[in-house]
Formats: sequence, structure tokens, C-alpha cells
Amino acid sequence: METKINKLIEIEKDKNPFKVPENYFAQFNEEIMNRLPEKEIVKPRTVPIWDKVKPWVYMAAMFVGLYITINFLTQNNGESNMASVETATQQTLSGSLQVENYWSTVQISEEEFYQYLEEQIIDDGYFDYMYNQYYLN
Amino acid sequence: MEMNNEEQLLEQLRNPGTSRQGFARLVSEYSERLYWQIRKMVLSHDDANDILQDVFIKAWTNLENFRGEAKLTTWLYRIAINESITFLNKKRSQNNVSIDADDSFLINTLEGDQYFDGDEAQLLLQKAILTLPDKQRLVFQMKYFEEMKYEEMSDILGTSVGALKASYHHAVKKIEKFLGEPN
Repeated sequence: METKINKLIEIEKDKNPFKVPENYFAQFNEEIMNRLPEKEIVKPRTVPIWDKVKPWVYMAAMFVGLYITINFLTQNNGESNMASVETATQQTLSGSLQVENYWSTVQISEEEFYQYLEEQIIDDGYFDYMYNQYYLN
Repeated sequence: MEMNNEEQLLEQLRNPGTSRQGFARLVSEYSERLYWQIRKMVLSHDDANDILQDVFIKAWTNLENFRGEAKLTTWLYRIAINESITFLNKKRSQNNVSIDADDSFLINTLEGDQYFDGDEAQLLLQKAILTLPDKQRLVFQMKYFEEMKYEEMSDILGTSVGALKASYHHAVKKIEKFLGEPN
């Protein structure tokens, strides 16, 4: 795009009508450097040893706590298992004692007892016979 | 400033031990160019001087934020332009002038400025320039007075080269029209 300049050309472009005080730029450069605020030099922060090891100590403490808890729970559980085993044993023992005690208190002899069982079986057979006769014929 | 020199300067600026020395180099390298850019925007020497100081103080305090993605010149120009526009907006609100209105009120500042010794034609040209909107004025000054390349202007102003060419063309037409009118 060609921009035609007619009137503008009549005005002397290179003649700068704007002036500055004498030695302005040299003085400005000096003044601005004196006005610059000091920059804070950020020192690298020294981390105390405790801060460095703190996370590791916390982690170790957590593991120790976890170990103690697990240990405590498993020990308690073992003890209660032992207790239940003991109770069961005691119950079994007392059961056998009861059986022994039972025979010691029964007034019939062992032979009489077997006799009694045989009679029972015969009676059951009689009922089976009667049942078969009645329903199946 | 050549690329190698700019890289050296950047390294100097980034090193806390040499940053002050590097900044002195930066100031002496760019103060004059930036001053003229600001002065052409705000017209008064005193105002331009204050703004230029603010520009360098801002550049110094924000040096850590400069990531080197743009050239140092571009970065400094952007700060200078932002500061100039902020200043002009303040002046407009002090003078109860709307942002869209022209800045002819600034001509009084110029006429009273002891550091302006232009003749009638030059004063008229400044009046004509003041009728342009801020961005168009910037484009005109960068191209007409500083003879800056469109590509560099594009980096500073964040506008495409095509748009800048069109903007410059319109600016010249407006100025020509203003100068052609009986004043």
C-alpha cells in the first residue's frame, strides 16, 4: 500500500522541534542508577537437621506404632484361642468324667443293658412287621 | 543491539552479582530511544522524564519476570508505551476528556513547554497528530519519525504487519486532511 504524502513533506521531518536540557541523557542515566532500589539477595535457607530428619522419624514412629498394634492384637487373639482350647479340653474331660460317673451311678449291669437294647430292637421289628402287614397288604 | 551483545547483556542482568552493572548498560543503550518515544506521546519534557524513570524502575523490579521470549527492546518499548498510555488516560480524566476524544488539550502543554521550539508548521503537525487515536498515533510516530520496520512495530504493538500498514495509511490521510484544512 503506497501512502502518498503531500502536505507532510512540506514540514521538515528531520528538524526535531523537541529539545532536552543540556547533558540530559548522561545525567538521567546516572540519576536513574542511583534511584534503583536495592534488590534483596535471597539467601538459600539453611534447613535445620531436625527438619531434614523429621519425616523419617515420623515414618519410623508410624511403623513402630503399627508393629506394636499388630503385635498386641495377634497376642491377644492367641491368648483367647488358647483359652478356648483349654475350655474345650476341660469340657471334653468333664464329658468323659460325666460318662464314667453315669455308669458308676447306673444300677443295672452291662449285660442287663445289652439285653435291654436287644429287646428294643425286637420291639422295633414287631412294629415294622405290624406296619408292613397293615399298610402293604 | 546485536544478538550476541543482547545475549551477553541478558546474562549480565540475570547474574545477581553483575545485574546492576548490566542494567547501567541497558539504560545507556535504550534511554534515549525510549525517551523520544515517550516524549512524542506526552509532548512535555517533564512528563516524559518522569515516565522514563518509571519505565526503568519497573524494568529493574520486574527483571526476573523477563523470560527472554521477546527482545529486550520490544519489552522496554512495551513498558514505555503502557506507561505513556496510562499517563495520558490519567491526564484525560483530570481534564474531564473522554478516552475517545482527541488530545488537543495537550497542545497547551506543548505551547508552554520551554523545551519545544517548533515553528508554526511543526506545531500544526503536532496538533494534527493529536487528533489520532492513541494506537494510530503510536504507529504514525514509529513509522514516520523513527522509521521503524513494520515487523519490529508488530512485535512491540502485538498487531499484524497488514493492520499496521493500514493504520499508518489512515493516519497519514487524516493528517494530510487536517493540514489541508484552513486552520
